Amino acid sequence: MDRVKTGIVGLDTMLNGGLLPARPYVISGPTGSGKTILSAHFLLEGLGQHEPCLLVTLDEPPIEVKSNMATFGWNLDRLKILDATPDIRAHKRQRSVIDVGTALDVRDMEDVTEIRQSSGIRALEVNVHSVQKMIKQEFAHHLERTKERYKRIVIDSMTALKMFSMQGQDSRVLTQSFLRFLAELESTTLIVSERLDRKILETEFFLSRGEIRLHKWVDGSVVRRAISIEKFRGSAFDDKMRPVSITDKGMVVYLDGPAQTRVASAGPIAGESLLETRLIDEVSNVIESVMKGIEDAHRRQVPIRDVEVSLSRAMLAFQRRNYRKAMKIALGCDSDLKERLRQAPPAPPTAIPPRPPLVAR
Amino acid sequence: MTAAAKIRTGIAGLDKMLHGGFVPGRPYIVSGPPGAGKTILAMQFLREGLEGGERCLFVALEEPPNELKINMRGFRWNLDDLDVLDANSDIRRFEPTPILEISTEEEPIKVRALGDRIRKTPDFESKEVTVHSLQQLLKTLLLKRNYERVVIDSITALKYFCMREFEEAVTTQSFMRYLAESKVTSLLTLELPEEGEVPPEAFLARGEIRLHKLRDETGIKRFISVEKYKGSSHDEFVYAFDITNAGIVLNTAA
Ligand SMILES: Nc1ncnc2c1ncn2[C@@H]1O[C@H](COP(=O)(O)OP(=O)(O)O)[C@@H](O)[C@H]1O
Ligand SMILES: Nc1ncnc2c1ncn2[C@@H]1O[C@H](COP(=O)(O)OP(=O)(O)O)[C@@H](O)[C@H]1O
Ligand SMILES: [Mg+2]
Ligand SMILES: [Mg+2]
Repeated sequence: MDRVKTGIVGLDTMLNGGLLPARPYVISGPTGSGKTILSAHFLLEGLGQHEPCLLVTLDEPPIEVKSNMATFGWNLDRLKILDATPDIRAHKRQRSVIDVGTALDVRDMEDVTEIRQSSGIRALEVNVHSVQKMIKQEFAHHLERTKERYKRIVIDSMTALKMFSMQGQDSRVLTQSFLRFLAELESTTLIVSERLDRKILETEFFLSRGEIRLHKWVDGSVVRRAISIEKFRGSAFDDKMRPVSITDKGMVVYLDGPAQTRVASAGPIAGESLLETRLIDEVSNVIESVMKGIEDAHRRQVPIRDVEVSLSRAMLAFQRRNYRKAMKIALGCDSDLKERLRQAPPAPPTAIPPRPPLVAR
Repeated sequence: MTAAAKIRTGIAGLDKMLHGGFVPGRPYIVSGPPGAGKTILAMQFLREGLEGGERCLFVALEEPPNELKINMRGFRWNLDDLDVLDANSDIRRFEPTPILEISTEEEPIKVRALGDRIRKTPDFESKEVTVHSLQQLLKTLLLKRNYERVVIDSITALKYFCMREFEEAVTTQSFMRYLAESKVTSLLTLELPEEGEVPPEAFLARGEIRLHKLRDETGIKRFISVEKYKGSSHDEFVYAFDITNAGIVLNTAA
């Protein structure tokens, strides 16, 4: 099957050639990790293939997107940009809200010169419904005008869309419906999403057909960036975390360098308290000590398979950052193991290897 | 239960872990984070049934059937005779148009007859799947077609999109009870968050197989474990597995 190139060479290699067409994908990562830049590469690649491309921007007004992208020297003039940045007023509910149909603001990137003037009396309310309606209208207009369908769409971002419009509503159902809507357009879509909490299962992460994750952390005094593919339905992929840099030519993914891993202790992670950090250290110590004990047991041929089983559980709990549980299991392993080793016959003396004969020079 | 009375899961290593396979006629859960391999495992379970001439049903709540077909192509499994029930809800209408619950007349489509393109929401009505209508439909289908293996992919989608939030716990429980009573061997996939607590659905089935997806310097590491298996002994160890061109393969002599 044909693949849709992201426009970033290294990433396309990681994707075994590119994305599968006509499906929605999630681009995740913290603020400033490069989600918008990656999306711009994707759109630029499409424009280069003379494909109609649409950017739906909720995070930054078009003029800002334009000036940010200008620093890379990219020509995005033929990009259609749908301004769905909300007017603050709409959220203060001071004014009446216009029907989005009349507020449809799609421009060629080329013509973006100033920030949209919000109407003095009415304001654009942004919600899933209105954004969906805008995209639908633009899709139809474009088809009518040019007889072409949009091939690539970027929603930047889903996080904003949810924040503005899903309070109090059933956000799961609305997200499902929105993704269904995108899938039915049969464009290849990137949905930008900031993952706020890994302990919460967000709808777009399991409904999307794949997830490309951007990482950014501070290592001493340098900012490090990396990219990984977390899921890609229907395809094999390179599952290593690869280093990334953002240069004046955009995003570069390095495949030959060493794969990156972000160690748990590198950089502060939001919400990670001092107490938790200490717990992490202690669990790691216990796990390490159990591992040493297991080696010892193997040498002395003491059967300890059940301890190994429990330890693997402790390690899984640790990986899920369920430190308390990990600690409990690991401590159990530790005391079991010590007991077992205490009762076992002493270790046979390790054979001393014969000295190598001295060779006269 | 003796190993002889169990049915095979479609994955040799997993059968060994389960000391023979599944006790037939009961619901099981396969859990794991997005991208862990749950859908692939479920397909291998159905393929095993198809090879033995059993009637099998896949209830799709996450992936449109056309994509499912494309996704499974790489494995070169013969799934032609698999019935797929499209239980994905349509685009929701915001205007007051009639909302139709998925009807009990709805028919599954054989994989061989599935097209390559996504089904489109009709202009003037939307199909909505509720847990009640789906359960009714399953009841009808199980009677009519005598399925021996059924996959619900996923119970999470059923909970997120097909139930009212305040009745989730009770409704999920009663859906699981219905499956247990229906005497079909069913496998339900359950999405897990990457970290933290496991949702309560995990505890409702007769058995839970969990897929783990972890990262280290060499990339993604995948592991499989049997968390629970009522009425049977099972292997407690956590084994590594890979997703290959042949699907899920445990890389150990389990
Ligand atoms: N010309 C450039 N050279 C190097 N880094 C840049 C350049 N332009 C932007 N960046 C970096 O890119 C990041 C912004 O990326 P962006 O895609 O907007 O992030 P996100 O959308 O994930 O919030 C900033 O952290 C900035 O440091
Ligand atoms: N031929 C293949 N080779 C290797 N990995 C594959 C292949 N086909 C699919 N995969 C991987 O399997 C994963 C998807 O498995 P899936 O069963 O859909 O996950 P889940 O249902 O748990 O979300 C994907 O991330 C994909 O990359
Ligand atoms: Mg951005
Ligand atoms: Mg799945």
